[in-house]
Amino acid sequence: MKKAGILSFLLFLTSLIWAQPSNEYVLLKGVVDDAQNKSKLGGASIQIRGANNGTIADLNGAFTLYSLPGQIQLEISYLGYRDTLLQLNLEPGSIRTLQIHLTSSTPELNSVVISGYLQGQAKALNQQKNADNIKNIISSDQIGRFPDPNAAEALQRVPGVNIERDQGEGRYVLVRGLAPQFTNININGEQIPSPEADVRFVALDAIPSDQLASIEVSKTLSPDMDGDAVGGSVNLITRMAQSKTPHISGSLAGGYNTLMQKPNWQGQLQFDQRFGKKEKLGLLINSNYYLNQLGSDNWEQAPNDNELELRDYELTRTRAGLSGTVDYRFNNRHEVYVRGIYSRFTDREWRRRYVFIPEDDEIEKLTKDRFESQSITAINIGGKHKFTGFYLNYEGQYSRGIQNTPYDHEAAFIAGLPSSFSAANGKFPILSADGFTNSSNYEFDEVSYGGSYAKDQNITGKFEIGIPYKTGSSNGILKFGAKARFKQKSYTITSDIYGTDAELPTADAFDEDPIKSEFLKGRFDMGRPIQMGLFNRFFNANPGLFELDVESKSIDEALESFDATENVYAGFIMSRHQFSKLTFTVGLRFEHTDVQYDSKDVIIDAQGDLEAIRPVSGTSSYSFLLPQIQAKYELSRYTNLRASIASSYARPNFGEIIPAQEINREDRVANLGNPALKPTSALNLDLMLEHYFGNVGIASAGIFYKKLDDFIYRRVIFNGTYPLTGTPIVPRIDIIQAQNGNTANLVGLEFAFQRKLDFLPGFFSKLNLYTNYTYTHSRATIQSREADETKPDATEKFRLPGQATHVGNLALAYENKKLVVRLAANFNGEYLTEVGGNASEDLYIKSRMQLDFNASYAINNRFRFFAEALNLTNQPFESYYGSKAVMAQREFYRWWMRFGVKFDLGLSK
Amino acid sequence: MKNSMLLLGSLLLLFIAGCDKKNTDLVMPLKPGDFPQVIKFSDEVGGELENTDEFSIALTLIDRVDPSGEEPGGTIVPLTEDVRVNFTISDVNGIAAVDSYIKGGKALYEIDDCTSSEDEGIDLDFQFDPVTGIGSVVFPEEVEEIELVFEVDETYLDDAELNEEERSIEFNLLSVDAASENVVVNTGMVFTYEVLDDEGVDGAWDLDPENPEQFAAFKNLFGLVNEDIANLDAADIEKIEIEFELEEIKVVVELKETELIDECGEQEEVNIEIELELEIEELTRLLAEGEIEAIGELEQEDGSLLEYTVKGNFWIEGNQLQLELENELEDETVSAILRLTR
Repeated sequence: MKKAGILSFLLFLTSLIWAQPSNEYVLLKGVVDDAQNKSKLGGASIQIRGANNGTIADLNGAFTLYSLPGQIQLEISYLGYRDTLLQLNLEPGSIRTLQIHLTSSTPELNSVVISGYLQGQAKALNQQKNADNIKNIISSDQIGRFPDPNAAEALQRVPGVNIERDQGEGRYVLVRGLAPQFTNININGEQIPSPEADVRFVALDAIPSDQLASIEVSKTLSPDMDGDAVGGSVNLITRMAQSKTPHISGSLAGGYNTLMQKPNWQGQLQFDQRFGKKEKLGLLINSNYYLNQLGSDNWEQAPNDNELELRDYELTRTRAGLSGTVDYRFNNRHEVYVRGIYSRFTDREWRRRYVFIPEDDEIEKLTKDRFESQSITAINIGGKHKFTGFYLNYEGQYSRGIQNTPYDHEAAFIAGLPSSFSAANGKFPILSADGFTNSSNYEFDEVSYGGSYAKDQNITGKFEIGIPYKTGSSNGILKFGAKARFKQKSYTITSDIYGTDAELPTADAFDEDPIKSEFLKGRFDMGRPIQMGLFNRFFNANPGLFELDVESKSIDEALESFDATENVYAGFIMSRHQFSKLTFTVGLRFEHTDVQYDSKDVIIDAQGDLEAIRPVSGTSSYSFLLPQIQAKYELSRYTNLRASIASSYARPNFGEIIPAQEINREDRVANLGNPALKPTSALNLDLMLEHYFGNVGIASAGIFYKKLDDFIYRRVIFNGTYPLTGTPIVPRIDIIQAQNGNTANLVGLEFAFQRKLDFLPGFFSKLNLYTNYTYTHSRATIQSREADETKPDATEKFRLPGQATHVGNLALAYENKKLVVRLAANFNGEYLTEVGGNASEDLYIKSRMQLDFNASYAINNRFRFFAEALNLTNQPFESYYGSKAVMAQREFYRWWMRFGVKFDLGLSK
Repeated sequence: MKNSMLLLGSLLLLFIAGCDKKNTDLVMPLKPGDFPQVIKFSDEVGGELENTDEFSIALTLIDRVDPSGEEPGGTIVPLTEDVRVNFTISDVNGIAAVDSYIKGGKALYEIDDCTSSEDEGIDLDFQFDPVTGIGSVVFPEEVEEIELVFEVDETYLDDAELNEEERSIEFNLLSVDAASENVVVNTGMVFTYEVLDDEGVDGAWDLDPENPEQFAAFKNLFGLVNEDIANLDAADIEKIEIEFELEEIKVVVELKETELIDECGEQEEVNIEIELELEIEELTRLLAEGEIEAIGELEQEDGSLLEYTVKGNFWIEGNQLQLELENELEDETVSAILRLTR
């Protein structure tokens, strides 16, 4: 039945492919730009007056519109610009190319001095206003308004977006209260693979914001978008050459980290130009580099084990990016392009720490030295072809994500010293541990030398065809297309742990001067830390003193490593239809996925020894038919009411589905992958009212509801048998496995307001307010953590991991023609991040508000100085177990800053 | 055009700068493939009673990753050539003259369960000078472990007193001579040979099965963890012995019933034995009274092991040992007072 459905759908698509387009239509094609500074006005609305027919200019101001022949009035509108009306006489079957120049209604918009800021905001809001679905757009100019060096941090300013941080820098995005795996990440409209091993989501700190032309966050899906997004879909768009004038822009900045008392620096350079008399060939190349020397002071505790850790982090991070676009326009109807981006993020981390274990009268002293790089490569090759009766777009993409950890070293020493601590005040622990800073008290315990390599590669091909049509007085476009994506993902690790039977020198033989002058503002003395390089020299000179734990190596490497392939086949059909002020986008998307995995089972025998490692394979496949409806009603010229009903889904993380298994007969616990795990399906309802201000601004309010079925959670099957099906090999064993079966609901309210306060008098009229707030509430049902053999089906309700009740931004800026000063606050409410064995073990990230400052001054139309300071109030990263009285971790970064110059040498004078 | 090329060059330079990762102070460790073979002592300690006529030390190769993948827990990969291992006595405690105690020695290895290299006349060229304490031995190719057997004067340390001072000899490996094999010795590991005082708790003690009170106490104490002991009848017993070794306590019940066993091709009639082995956690030595704590393991039907703990106190008077012990298995605890004789 399922196969018959798939076949019918494909036949339907094929028949549409061969349908003959009408020759009656006229193809209108053109570019909308600023009359004075020629910047392209992406998102401009182009409407045929009285014909219920229109379109939206793309990011480069280009548009295509099919019209019936005859006399028409073409109305072009753009926030902050005067509306323009063109009278056109169109011949049947002809192609008409237009260059439309709009004049600003806001003086600042064509000021060559600060044009970047307000025009960026205008461009973003115009695209947002005229889009068919609910989306938020940040232009590159807007990204520059905030001190956000990577894509994740740029996204934190968007309504409904929360971010997870690492060492104070944004890394993962959580959209509308859903964990990162519920949001897909795209570059130039195509999903990119995750460099990380067992997940699909992408760490966006690997992507420098300087590489991007804009970021789109689509909160509702249309059938021409991938259906595996529940929270939203993030699209990172790289830049393209705009004009024949050679354009050279860039920035150079240096800064200082107050915790590490070390400098940082960054640079960016971009060249773009269109070549030839008719500007047929466009070339853009952009390169950037960012180096940051940062660190953190951290304490954390494990209350169940009564252990306390003091952690001193030191990091060197770099981000390098290279992106480019070559496009060639054969004529008005046909163009091809190649877009590529390569970004590389590196992270060298030294972690020096003590672990206090009062129960055993032991204190551990450790140093870790780890280097990790994440690279993302994406190359898109495609074409756009306009015919009089239809258009055809197609694209192929090769993308690859790699996470390489060539070394991850940690040396551990241990002292038989008593200690005691109390973290009851929730701020800083009170510690009593005589002699713990004396390195000579510590004897060698073990040294681990690890490494890993994760690779995720996609090869994708897709096409879409659009055919204009007319029913009565309204017009529409029928679109259909298909796509295939072939993914290969693999992960290998090295885990070498060496112990010793020998009497080795104590830790003072390997220690060094402290890295920081003080730790946690002098509250604790960290003594002299172990220097990993010194220890490794000793290891290499005396290998006979060390012995590899072969069994642990075999277990760790077998459990973690896997190979997987995932092939996705998709097709869609949709119609965008305009009835006067009402625009409907209705369609169906079909996605079929085949997955195959190879990994290994590890069996630990009843006496705790490694019994066997067995290769295993698993396959699964699933299909989704996703109906999606979007409606936009223009209540007034500046006011839209939007509604959407859409189905979508979220694939399980690789770590949950690979069939790797650890069967520990000694502890009577088995951790099993679940290749049969189904994706979480979702019904998404949205209602949004938005009002735009003519002077470039927006006020919006929306409500959304999501019903998640087959919600994935970690289930314990008490007293099960291994394997779960077939002949039992191991009886009476507790099996832990990610499983489907429960439902979750999420509801949210979203508000945004941003505008220039020009209605205020004098100085205050130069103020600009940017604010948004999102409230979410969720409820999921899972197997109760209190469940046992007597009540295995007991359930409990809890909130979804990643869901923060309150998320918001507030930024106030003073902007005049030369000076911009901004204070920006970002608030992330608390959220559950790890589900524990019981409620008191649930790990929550505590709410956090970061205050950032930036200012810039334009000395002329080419150069602008800027200064940025982040985390002004030294907000720590905090987490707690169960209740706020039981802190799990507090990590401090202090504040850091940079200043520099931005230049743009291609502006017309 | 020239400017464009300069610009392009600058872009590339900027990017290359980004690729230059700074690995300050990085020292990479030896890779497992380059890691040498390591010869070390098989154990850190060994011990014999003071009247023994020999003691032994085992030398072994450490486990490596099995190249065939058949042994994921690791395997010994034998050497491909003979090497000579040099060792020394590094410390002596409570023994006035080592050269008076150690008389000589030999080295051998096991070929199979019934045959040693000595049986086959293979000489490992064991050399040892008791005066200097320095010696050497050949560790042959294709062998996993060799044993150094030191012959000692059994009367030299065998006194009639409970010594208050520990008597021990410490050995270290010094170096290895190899032609081409990538092999080293663990020079940081110490093997300590401890002399056990038979005037103390160490050694074998007998419990009289004919004493109904003592037999009942014994059955009560160890019957908790062994059904055969719980069901014993005194009439079936030849001997009950509790032996204190360096790291282990052995409880042996020798039955009158015998069985035929095959010992390297020879049939032998032996008494059937019920044996419990407990690992010593704590034991007071060199005193006539003290504390005992030892852990035993009970194999269950599914193969898993359940631990039990035997702990208590002991007193020695002449050739009599009194044990006041508790045996704890999960939630159940039994106690007994045992009186044994040497």
